[in-house]
Amino acid sequence: MERSSDTLILGVGNCLMGDEGLGVHLAQQLKKEIPAGFADVLDGGTAGFQLMEYIESYPRVILIDATLDGRPAGTIQLIRPKFASDFPKAMSTHEIGLKDLVESLTLLDRLPDVYLFVVSVKTIQPLSIDLSPEVLVVLPELKRGILELCLRPVEVS
Amino acid sequence: MTRIVVDPITRIEGHLRIEAEINNGKITDAFSSGTMVRLIEEILRGRDPRDAWAFVGRVCGVCTTVHSLASIRAVEDALDITIPPNAELVRNLMFCAQNVQDHVIHFYHLHALDWVDVVSALKADPKKTSEIAQSISNWPKSSPGYFSDLQKRLTKFVESGQLGIFANGYWGHPAYKLPAEINLIGVAHYLEALEWQKEIAKVHTIFGGKNPHPNFLVGGMACSISLDDASGINAERLAYVGKLLKDAQQFVEQVYIPDLLAIAPYYLDWGAIGGGLGNFMAYGDLSTSGYRDVGNYKFPPGVILNKDLSKIHEVDLRNDSEVEEYITNSWYEYAGGDGVGLHPWKGETKLKYTGPKPPFDFLNTEDKYSYLKTPRWKGHAMEVGPLARMLVGYASGRPEFKEVVDYALSALNVPATALFSTLGRTAARGLEAKLVAGWGLEFYDQLINNIKNGDTRMANTEKFKPETWPKKAMGVGHTEAPRGALAHWIVIEDQKIANYQLVVPSTWNASPRDKEGKSSAYEAALKDTPVHDVNQPLEILRTIHSFDPCLACAVHLYDENGKHINKLKVL
Repeated sequence: MERSSDTLILGVGNCLMGDEGLGVHLAQQLKKEIPAGFADVLDGGTAGFQLMEYIESYPRVILIDATLDGRPAGTIQLIRPKFASDFPKAMSTHEIGLKDLVESLTLLDRLPDVYLFVVSVKTIQPLSIDLSPEVLVVLPELKRGILELCLRPVEVS
Repeated sequence: MTRIVVDPITRIEGHLRIEAEINNGKITDAFSSGTMVRLIEEILRGRDPRDAWAFVGRVCGVCTTVHSLASIRAVEDALDITIPPNAELVRNLMFCAQNVQDHVIHFYHLHALDWVDVVSALKADPKKTSEIAQSISNWPKSSPGYFSDLQKRLTKFVESGQLGIFANGYWGHPAYKLPAEINLIGVAHYLEALEWQKEIAKVHTIFGGKNPHPNFLVGGMACSISLDDASGINAERLAYVGKLLKDAQQFVEQVYIPDLLAIAPYYLDWGAIGGGLGNFMAYGDLSTSGYRDVGNYKFPPGVILNKDLSKIHEVDLRNDSEVEEYITNSWYEYAGGDGVGLHPWKGETKLKYTGPKPPFDFLNTEDKYSYLKTPRWKGHAMEVGPLARMLVGYASGRPEFKEVVDYALSALNVPATALFSTLGRTAARGLEAKLVAGWGLEFYDQLINNIKNGDTRMANTEKFKPETWPKKAMGVGHTEAPRGALAHWIVIEDQKIANYQLVVPSTWNASPRDKEGKSSAYEAALKDTPVHDVNQPLEILRTIHSFDPCLACAVHLYDENGKHINKLKVL
């Protein structure tokens, strides 16, 4: 992937597990909608360490993922994680995933400016490639939030 | 007696549950269970055999290449397709890159923290750390400043009260024996290995188009090589592959091996713990003259029984009385009943869960208790993996194997019997990475030579079209996955997959008991392992991790809360 912008929008999740895959669904949509140069978009799937190369080559990374944190389905939160415990519950279905990557990059002193949009979901149990109505309805708001963030200047730490 | 449950065993790919009975500080019995279903065999039924590689590769996000490789070899075997030498070499190069990457990741990211105490590294003297690092290796990142910077970042990290990546460790456990300085070196290389592993994966991207899940092709490889073609794999790309392979060798020789030899002396007691079965099996791979030329395999095939290195038994994957899978203790049913073993060409995959209804505390290990079947070779339980490969190579008298094994034994001043242990398994993985890194460069030189001589053939498409196939065909394809011997069996009827069976390394190692009640490798290795504190079963992790457990291809997984259950029951 050629870098065309300072910002990477990285959607992660498992698209076979219903709402768990919302980050991936959104990345696929944004890929079609966002012009090169504004931001780059990547469907990170369930990859963990394989995403290191992408994350560390952008000054700013906007992650999108689902969480099972008990809040009402569709709740959107924006956080700036520095440690694994800053990540909400059940972010990744892999044992060693994005959380570990963010921390390792912190220890390596190479963590870019990371923003994390998480959307609360009710369950990740059903084997489904569709999103639930509760999540579908907040996608426009989530997109707006991402685009607004892209418009802000990249903070230099 | 105390019965403890570790579920899931973390720092692996997939879900593994261990239940162990502990008496007077020692494990007296252990049960290994894969707690989710795979069933990719059923997904493949009725599909085009030329597509199978793409499905089976997805069985795992880590060792996708080996499954795809076993699959195309099974189809090529069934259809009697011989592939061009360059395709063999490219497959070998991908094998080597994956093997070395996997072993390094396993050692530093999945296993090292069983031996390296991260919190103790905070007390290290950076100057002394630098002296030790420079005394064991020429690796350039070894100045006092380098270690003191890292230590400062680590201190900040730990003082924030958030151990993060290091959160699941049993820090301060008395079984951690390393001096603070070696712990700091371990942490430094944990991070460096993380950076390095993303580079070597590019070999797969170059030859397979992408990573993970690079592309494969029945009949050869799906990459066009031409030295002066701007869009294909040209001289520049090939030179880059050469650099990646050289860097890999340097990392193994200057970081991995020196660390292994610096850590091992503090844990020599583990050279007598975790031995287990004493039966070892390798199918072999990495031929210098084509996959069918077994005699020229860098990894020779063979079986060792009862630790007897004086005799190598032959393995025949086609013989229906050699490899058989049993379900006596697995949640499946066979048409012929629970007592029979089936050769994979006649394999069946019909689920029948009879375990307790979740949530439950303990499995009923008197009955069926796993989604893994139980494979046996001529009725024997077998350990597969780097230790098995190194022992088969060693016992076959191969000079390269003898050299590295004898070197390690003399550097650690331990007898050959120490190989049959948790420590032996972990050391064998490192020694294997050293051999494979070197072989990768040999295969690379051969490929460059072929291309320079004008041979750019990469695929044999004579029998690619289904019209050219017989009405019925059967094949088996094998390789050596990082975790051990791997084979796929296929039956093709009317141009479609009629049956497909994978027998993966972790099924050999992690399976439940057979019909005679004999344990497989994990269960056997845990027996007699000392457990200092049942609330912190670090010792179980050491032995299980030494196998490089990876259950994604043996079972499916997910646990929606990512919960680390650590249950205790005093019986």
